[in-house]
Order: sequence, then structure tokens, then C-alpha cells
Amino acid sequence: MQRSPNDLSQLQATMRAIEVACSSIQMMVNRAEAEATILSLCQSPQPYQACQYILENSQMPNARFQAATAIRDAAIRDYCLCYVMQRASSPEGYVQAKVSAAAAQLMKRGWLEFSAAEKETFLSEVKQATLGIHGADVQFIGIKLMESLVSEFSLSTSTAMGLPAEFHDQCQKSMELEYLKTFYCWARDAASSVTNKILDSDSPVPETKVCTAALRLMLQILNWDFRYSKNGLESAKGKKNVFSAQVGNDNNLSRRSECTIVQPGPVWHDVLISSGHIGWLLSFYGALRQKFSCEGFWLDCPLAVSARKLIVQFCSLKGNIFHSDIGQMQENHLLQLLSGIMQWINPPDEVSKAIESGKSESEMLDGCRALLSIATVTTPVVFDQLLKSISPFGTLTLLSALMCEVLKVLMVRNAEEETWSWVARDLLLDTWTALLVSIESGGETGLLPAVGRNAASNVFSLIVESELKAASASAFSDDMASDYFQASASAMDERLSSYALIGRASIDITIPLLTNLFNERVARLHQGRGITDPTVTLEELYSMLLIIGHVLADEGEGETPLVPKAIQTQHVASGESEKHPVVVLSSSILNFAKQSLDSEMRASIFSPRLMEAITWFLARWSSTYLMPSEETGESNSGSCYDNNHMVQSSVSSKAFLIFGEHNQGKSVLDLVVHIATTTLVSYPGEKDLQALTCYHLLHALVRRRNVCVHLVGLDSWRRLANAFANERLLFTLYSAHQRSLAQTLVVSASGIKNPEASNQYVRDLMCHMTNYLMELSSKNDLKIVAHQPDVILLVSCLLERLRGAARATEPRMQKAIYEMGSTVMNSILIFLEVYKHEFAVVYLLLKFVVDWVDGQIIYLEAQETAGVVNFCMRLLQLYSSHNIGKISLSISSSLLSEAKTEKYKDLRALLQLLANLCSKDLVDFSSDSPETPGTNISQVVYFGLCIVIPLISLDLLKYPKLCHDFFSLLSHLLEVYPEMVAQLNDEAFSHVLGTLDFGLHHQDMEVVDMCLRALKALASYHYKETTVGKVGLGTRAAGSKDQNGQMSEGIFGRFLRTLLHLVLFEDYSTDLVSAAADALLPLILCEQSLYQRLGNELIERQVNPAFKSRLANALQCLTSSNQLSFTLDRMNYQRFRKNLINFLVEVRGFLRTIKILVLFPVLFVCKSVLQTSRIQDPGRILFEKIYPKQVK
Amino acid sequence: MSDEEHHFESKADAGASKTYPQQAGTIRKNGYIVIKNRPCKVVEVSTSKTGKHGHAKCHFVGIDIFNGKKQEDIVPSSHNCDVPHVTRTDYQLIDISEDGFVSLLTDSGGTKDDLRLPTDESLLSQIKDGFAEGKDLVVTVMSSMGEEQICALKDIGPKN
Repeated sequence: MQRSPNDLSQLQATMRAIEVACSSIQMMVNRAEAEATILSLCQSPQPYQACQYILENSQMPNARFQAATAIRDAAIRDYCLCYVMQRASSPEGYVQAKVSAAAAQLMKRGWLEFSAAEKETFLSEVKQATLGIHGADVQFIGIKLMESLVSEFSLSTSTAMGLPAEFHDQCQKSMELEYLKTFYCWARDAASSVTNKILDSDSPVPETKVCTAALRLMLQILNWDFRYSKNGLESAKGKKNVFSAQVGNDNNLSRRSECTIVQPGPVWHDVLISSGHIGWLLSFYGALRQKFSCEGFWLDCPLAVSARKLIVQFCSLKGNIFHSDIGQMQENHLLQLLSGIMQWINPPDEVSKAIESGKSESEMLDGCRALLSIATVTTPVVFDQLLKSISPFGTLTLLSALMCEVLKVLMVRNAEEETWSWVARDLLLDTWTALLVSIESGGETGLLPAVGRNAASNVFSLIVESELKAASASAFSDDMASDYFQASASAMDERLSSYALIGRASIDITIPLLTNLFNERVARLHQGRGITDPTVTLEELYSMLLIIGHVLADEGEGETPLVPKAIQTQHVASGESEKHPVVVLSSSILNFAKQSLDSEMRASIFSPRLMEAITWFLARWSSTYLMPSEETGESNSGSCYDNNHMVQSSVSSKAFLIFGEHNQGKSVLDLVVHIATTTLVSYPGEKDLQALTCYHLLHALVRRRNVCVHLVGLDSWRRLANAFANERLLFTLYSAHQRSLAQTLVVSASGIKNPEASNQYVRDLMCHMTNYLMELSSKNDLKIVAHQPDVILLVSCLLERLRGAARATEPRMQKAIYEMGSTVMNSILIFLEVYKHEFAVVYLLLKFVVDWVDGQIIYLEAQETAGVVNFCMRLLQLYSSHNIGKISLSISSSLLSEAKTEKYKDLRALLQLLANLCSKDLVDFSSDSPETPGTNISQVVYFGLCIVIPLISLDLLKYPKLCHDFFSLLSHLLEVYPEMVAQLNDEAFSHVLGTLDFGLHHQDMEVVDMCLRALKALASYHYKETTVGKVGLGTRAAGSKDQNGQMSEGIFGRFLRTLLHLVLFEDYSTDLVSAAADALLPLILCEQSLYQRLGNELIERQVNPAFKSRLANALQCLTSSNQLSFTLDRMNYQRFRKNLINFLVEVRGFLRTIKILVLFPVLFVCKSVLQTSRIQDPGRILFEKIYPKQVK
Repeated sequence: MSDEEHHFESKADAGASKTYPQQAGTIRKNGYIVIKNRPCKVVEVSTSKTGKHGHAKCHFVGIDIFNGKKQEDIVPSSHNCDVPHVTRTDYQLIDISEDGFVSLLTDSGGTKDDLRLPTDESLLSQIKDGFAEGKDLVVTVMSSMGEEQICALKDIGPKN
């Protein structure tokens, strides 16, 4: 750009003045005068040119700094604020939004440096605007600007701006403590200043927009994540409270939809509670509602929506904003709100009728949201009481009536999803859940009040009715999604758990109801047998079993679930155990399920889908009720309840003991095993059903030791085991299910008291299978018969079974499982040879060995270990000899990619095998003393790695899991046994290094991290060895002469170059810097002269003399500051980490200028498009399309 | 297991049968299946039901192992499917003749000269190039239901 000489001299003069001022401030002379000079720069009307000149030409960092500050201030003041304010009436709202967001960002950048007075000037302009002196448009903009500020200062919505988290934290704190409340008051004042105008005018006025924006801002402020003012005194005591006070408590409440709890703390009391603010808001909304009552659309206009949202938000106020007067103040507050909200939802039948005939549903839905919020912040008793003081019924009654109305509407218009009644039902269900969860978790008052229980049971019976109706309506639909049990159950799961909570609220009514409905349907099935199509009834039973299962029992999620507390503690009138409603219902279902054992009944009634529901139910029910361990039941009830409850709960627990070990438990267990066997044997090909039996039901049975004790004694179980071991029938199961079955059967052996007997049990179970495999492998014509499909199927099934058994390894049965594996070791090698082209079998062979070694290795004695390790190595060699250099040829690309996937899975298994072998060095339960000469695991694993590495192509490393496994094994090996690297042969050695180099440039951060750790281990090993006069990695580190006599660099030199380049010039996550530092330090120490040379080269390459000297300084500091020494201890590593971070902060900015230069022009284009374009879209499109890419 | 052993012995005349019956529900991805009288590799299996309370059926997607064409089939999962007998045999590659046949060395020392080279250009060049470079090549020949094809190639080191 050309400048006139006159301008230039003036600019130079300004620059000099600023430079003088800066240096005098530094030297503490003429301070006041100097400050004035600088201030004049900041306040000059158009400082841009001068500042730019200083930035470009001044040699003084301080002067450049001042210039930059001045530009920033001017930009905020002149540009953003003026732009926005002057164009207040412009129609392009989103342009204004973007600009005010920019202003907010600029403000925030300087926030911590601005003096209070500076902030005051800026904010007073905003305040003036919001007061409405300059008209409604400016008022609106003022509010919008505050909105941008609040969202920029809130952590969750702030822009990163490349600033540290601490900066954002401090800004948030400052905003929360100093300005948030002020902003709120301004918004409130702005809103109330225009209310009269809105209410008085008959046509839309611009003030409506102001009022809407103000209400929205208030809502936004109430959504603020209050951290500092919340706990008042507490937070002053120590930071810890900020975290610990809330976490546990809010978890289960706030996970609910759309409901956040607002806890602004006591300082907000005056503004929100005692000022009559809420009363004003309610009456404002009420007046508007009245005024526009004839215009249906009004309910959905922005003003109404934001007013309602704000009201709903007020319902979730909680915490010490209310004084501690036993909740009286909060109750008054909620009552006030509720009485305003009542007209939205009461009377429920009229409201729903109005909506069905065309009125907007949004007000009613907001009413439901308000109920949800209130339910979240109160206890059930308080919730119910609220309404009693102003109406003849309690809130629970209203809630129940509302829910019933919604359900009725839902039943009429069954098919349509996503109608208002769906949304309302989910909201109200959440409300019930919020109320009932507090009871279930046992913290609060215990039970619902009686009236609440009535209300709940009314709702529950309607829920069941509507679900049954839905089921019968869908019985013939061929909806694919609901075909699968798993999918439909988990999709419904959340809804069903809410149903369950409601159902459990009054089990004396709901459970008999369920029993009756269930029995009715069963009776209907029997009457119609062979006459009418049972499908509808079957579907209804299916649905009922799901509901009942949820009501009676909780999902264990791996733990043993107890009888739900609501069921345990409720007093039930019936005296005898047999008549307890839960017992009656359970027995009904068990009796029904028993009928599936009869083949005729099975054919006519028990469809696969119904059996799926029964199996699922039995699994869930048995985990809770079948043979509960009696001690846990009592100790639990004792600790959680007072005496009164304890009496009741023991009544109920006693009732459930009817299914205990000394009662009917054994016969019920027998029945369950019979039913399970039936699903496996009599439902051929029903994979989904059998999966439920294997993975759910049988697993649930063997999970508890006390059940296993009885299980192994049952004839039915013995028959199942015998059929599994000796009969052909169960080979028709899907092979993965056979694996699971084997695992289950082996685990059940833990129920046998005598360890020798349990080993024998496993031997008896598996010996036929191992014998068969051994015989087959020794056949002379094996090569011919092995490839017959029936033989392949059999071998695959047997291998799956062996694998299942191997996975069940427990100390008690370890011996037998070891024997099982060791007898087939030879056969496995033979099969690996015979089936070398049969991927499916090879993979099973490998997976069996992986699981078997995984279970066994830590228990093995020295001799056994040697045998197993030797076997594994032969396996690896054999696999390698079959596959190395093999290329699949196929015309089909999908077959080729299948072949690649197969290879990947094999290799992953091999890596897992090596990793499992490694674990012997970490955990060892064998009886050998440490001195016993054992197998050198490190040598073995390295040897294995050398076999595997050539099989892994760079292409295969694109599979993320394989890549991850590979590098974690590699880095583990290099870290734990770096000395082994020296012993690798040349080929393997260069393979290892090649993959490390590949990994360093990988996209996955974890992979890079693992490689850096490996490098660190290698380099530090070498350095430590050489400093004490040993060879370390010897010639490999030193580099060598190649055939042409050229000196090639040693490995550490190569990696030093690579790593330096990576650290300085490439993109990587900052999380990697520490790991990079840890690797870099030993590399530098190993190759000090090379490092010097590289550093000099780097400096020489800089053209700009300023950069040159900065770089030289930085490099100097990197290796000398912080008392860095030449040792590799923890302390030194830490120092070097700090040095490296400082170094990078200093130099990466100018070393990597190229990419930034690319970024800037694009932003400028965006900006100018934004400013000049008359069409509204291009700017936005450019921003959205280009910006994210550049940021990446 | 006596049952199986019996079964096992009865197959002394192995290879006679081209396909074997197997229950549809037990066929896994990566296994083989005959669809429309063609041997296929199963690349996808899914199950569904005939009506909500009906029986399960399996939906197979297979790729013809010789011509690479996609085939689909739906079978009730308790019914049997045909599973092809697929064998793969390794031979050392001795020669490639002008007229598009290969000459292979069998285990027993004889030669097998009746196998055509694939017509697909890229497959053809992979075999020819390797052979021309003088590598010692082992080819794997896949055969099933009366058809044969080279399906893999393995370099076992330079010719001595």
C-alpha cells in the first residue's frame, strides 16, 4: 500500500511517541505522562492506521502490544457497538446477531484486563439502550447484546477463542458474581416498561419484540450454570463443596427430559422471590391470555411462548435462594405458580377436548412441563398438598386425571405417533417417575400418601388398558422393527420402567389387576384353542409379560437385583404367603409357562415370540425371586428402614421366601430348566429365542453360587448336560449359542462343594468332545473327509464349545480345563494345517487358543508354561507359513474385502494371544518360587512378534482395533523389555522401526502416544546403558555404512529428526506434548551433536532476523533453563516437559506461518461478503462451509 | 458321540456327494451355501419372522465363489439348506502355456494340465507377472460342484 510522505512522517512520529512512552513506563520515569500518551492513542477516533504501522514497523514488543490493545478497544467501541446500534431497525436479524456475537467475543477477550471503569462505560451504553430512551429498536438491540454477552460468558456456549480454560472460568465467575443479576434487572425493567403498551394496544406493536427478547434473556439467565453464588457461605469455605454438594443428589433427577434445576443461591432472593416479580409475570401472561382468548394462534406466538417458558423455569427454582423455613417459602412460591398454571391444564377433560377440536396444545404441554419441574423439586407429599389449599383435590389427583385424559385420547388415535398426546404422555410419565424415584431410592418420606396411591392405581389400569389395546391393534402388522424381541424391548424399556414405578406405588391394587387380566387372556386362549386365531391374545400376553416383568423386578445389570423396595415395604392385607399378590401373580405365570412343556399345547399356543417373552420374564424374575440369599434380604431392610418398616418389609420378604431354597424354590428351578431345555430342543432354528435362553435365562441362573448348588443336583440339569455332551440334538443350535451353553454348564460346576468333584464334572462334560477331536485328527483320510461340510460343521461346533468352556475358567475348575486344552493341542496344530484355507475354522482355532491361554496362563507351573508357550509358538509359525506372501484372487471385490477382513480378525487374535502370554510376567499364581528357572516370556513374545509383524501390512493397520492392539502390544514390549530389541534380527528390527515410524504419523492420538512411549523407552534404555559403559543397542544406534560406503544414520538420529519435525511443523493435539517431551529428551541426549546441527540448520533457515534471534534463544532455553541436567530421572523429565511447552509456545507461531496465511484471506473474504452483499445468504453459507474446515 | 462316529465312518466314499444338507439356522456368515444351484459364500445372514407369531426364517446374501455374482435366498430357519463341498488344493505352478492353460505339479509328483487360466485381466496378470519374475509360486485351486478355479497365489521364495 502506498502512503503519502506526509502521512508517513506523522505515523513515524506517533510510533516514536508510543515507543518512548512504553520505555519510560518500563523505566518508571514520567509515568503519568507516558500513560496519557498511550491513552490518547486508544481514544483517538481512528487509531487503526497508526496502530497498524506500529505493529508492522516497531522493534519494541511493548509498543506493538499497546498498538494491538488500542485496535481491539477501538474495534469494540467503534465498530461493533456502533454498527449494531445504528442499524437497529435493519431487518436482517441474523447479521445483527453475528455482529453482536462478535462484539461479545471482543469484550470477553479483554474482559480480565479492562478496568471496572472501562467496563462501566461500555455497559452504561448498553443500559441506556435497554431503558428504551432511544426507541424500541435500540432497546431490542441492547437486550440482544446482553444475550450475546451472557451466552459468550457461559462455559457451555462460549467460543473457544484459543484461550485456556482458566480464562473462561474467570470470565464466567466475574459475570456471575458481578453482572448477571444486573442484567436480569435491566431485562426485567425493559419488559415491565413496555407491558402497558402491549396490553393497551389492539394492533401488534414493536414493543412486543422488546418484551419477548427481554423474557428470553431472563430465561437464559435463569438457565445459567450457577456455581459461585449457589452455595453462598459454603463456597467460601473451600472449593471442594462446589463439586461434592450437588453431584450425587441431582443425578437421577436432572437426567429426566427437559428439566434442569435452577439454583441461583441466596443473593437472588430479592430479585426473584421477594420483589413480587413472579406475580407480575403471571398476571401479565394472564391478562394477555384473556385479551387474546378469541385468537387461537396467539398461544404459539413468541411472546406467549417465552413467557410460559420463563414461568416453567421458575417452577424449578431450588436451593438456598429460599430461606430455611422448613420449605414454607418454597411451597408458597410453587403454589403461586401453580395457581397461575392451573388454567392451562384444568379441568383436564375440557382442555383435551379443546385441543382435539383445534386449539393449540402448546399451553397444555407447558403446563405438563411445569408439573414435571415442580415434581422434580418437591417430595410427593408436598407436591400433593400444594393444590389442596386452593382446590378440593390434591395435585396428585389432578396429575392422575390429566394423565387419564391423555391416555384416553391416545387410545382413540392409536396409530399416529408424535401427536400431542404422545408428548404429553411422556412428560406426565416423567413427572410420575420424578415423584416415585425419590421413594424407590429410599431417601424420602417412604410412601405415597393414600390418595396418591389411588391416583397411581387409576393411572396404571388405564396404562395397561392402552398398552393392551396397542398390542392387539399391532398383532397383525408386519412392522419389521417390532419383530425382534431385543429391539422392541429396549426401545420400550424406558417407558416400561416408568410404568413399573407407577404400578409399584400400590401393589395391593395393581398386581391383582395384572393377575386378573393375565388369567383372563390365558383362559381365552384355552377356550379358543383350535377354533379361533389366537394371534391377538398372544400379542396381548406378550405385552403383559413385558409389563409384569418390569413391575415385579429390576434389571440386574450384572448385579443381583433385590426385590424392589416399593414392593418389599408395602403393607399388604393378606396374611399368608401364598396369598401375597406378587406370589399369586408369579405362580399364575409359572403355571402358564409350565404348559409349554406339553407338545400339543406348545404347537397351538406357545409361539416363538410368546416363548421369547416368557424366557425373558423368567430370566428377570428368577434373578430377583428365585432362591434369594436370605441374609442379604434382612441386612438390607435392617439398615435402610426404621422399625415400623422393618416389620412390614419382613412380612413381604417372608412371603417371597416361598420361592426360596427350602420351599418351592427347587421345584421352580426345575421347571425353569425344563422350559429352557424345551426352547433349545423343541424350537428348531429359532435363533432369537435360543439366544435369550442361552445369554439371558441360563446365565442368570448360574450367576449365583447358591443357585448353582441346587442346579447341579437337579435331574433336569443333568439331562441337559448329558444331552449336550453326548447327543447329536444340540448340534443343531447356532454354534455361538453352543459356546454360551458350554460356558454355562461349566460354570455350574462351581456349585459342587468338593473341588475334585467339580473338576470331574467338567471332565465328564468335555471328554467326549476332546476325544472326538483327537480321533478325527489322527484319521488317515483326514485330508479327504475334513472338508466335507458336515465334518466342518461338527469341528466348528466342538471348537466353539471348547472355547466356551475355556472362558468359564475359575480356580476351582482350572485343572480340568487345562487338561481339556492340553489334550487337544496337537490336534489343533493338525487342524490348522488341514483347514488352512478354511477361514471360519482357522479363526475358531485361534480364538479357542486365545481364550484358553487367557484363562490358564496365570495358574500354570513352570513346566506347563513351557509346554503352552511352545505350542503357541508352533501355532504362530504354522499360521505364518500358510499365510505369508499369500494373495487372494477373486473376481468379486466383496469376496476380496471379506478375505481382508478375515485376515484382520486372525491377526487380531494372534496379537491377543501374545498379549495374554505377556500377562504371565505380570500376574503369576503358580506355586513355583521366583527362582525356578522358567520360560523367558519376553523372549517368547518377541519371537512371536517377529512372526506376526511381517503378516501385518500397512493396509491392515487401517483397521482401528487391529492398529490399536498392535501398537499397545508393541509399546508394552518396548517399555518392559527394551533390551530384547538389540537381539532382534535385521529384518525384524527394521520392521519394528518402520511400524513405529508409521505410528508416529498416525491420526489416532492414542497410537501416537503409544509410539512416543515406545521411543522414550528405547532411547532412555540406550542412553542409560551407554553412560555406564555398556553397548545398549550397539551398532543399530550408531548407524552404519551401506554398500556404497555412505554413512547412514543411526535409528535415534532418524527418530530425532522425525520427532522434531513433528513437534515443530505438524498438527497434533496439545495433549501429546508431554509424551513428545518424554521421548525427545532421551533422543537429544543420545544424539547431542546431531541435535546441535539440526538446531543450527533451523536457525539458519529463518530469513527474518528477529525470528532468528528468538528461535536461537528459545532453543537455548529448551535445553538449559529450569536446571535441566543430563540425567533421565523423573524430575528432569518434568523440567523438560515444561521447557518444551514454553519453547513451542514461543516458536510454533512463526515457524508454522504458512497455514495461518491460508486461513486469513478466507476470513477476509467472508467478512467483506458479509458487509457488502445485498443477498442475505452468501455470507452465511461461506462462513458455515469454509470456517469449520479452516478451524480443523 | 457314537452317533457321529457312525456317521463319520459311513463317509468313506467321501467326495461323492457335491452338497450336504444343513439346517438353515446353523449357517453362519463366512460359511458356504448353495443358492440357485450355485456355490456361494455367505456374506450376510439376517433373521425375521413370518408374521409376529410365526416361525423364524433366514435371509441369506451370498456371493458366487466362482463368478462373484450376488445371490439371495430366504429359507425357514428350521429347514435344511444345501451346503456345497468346497475343497482347495495347493499345487506348484510349473508352466503357463500359450493357449491359456496352466501346468501344475501335484503332491504325488504327477502333473495336472486341464485347468484354464482366469479370463479376468487383472487376475491373469497377477499370475503371469509373478511367474514371469521367476518366483516360485504355489497356486490354490478351489473346486466345488464340478467347477475349478485358482483362488489364491503364494510366493514361496525365489527359484533355486
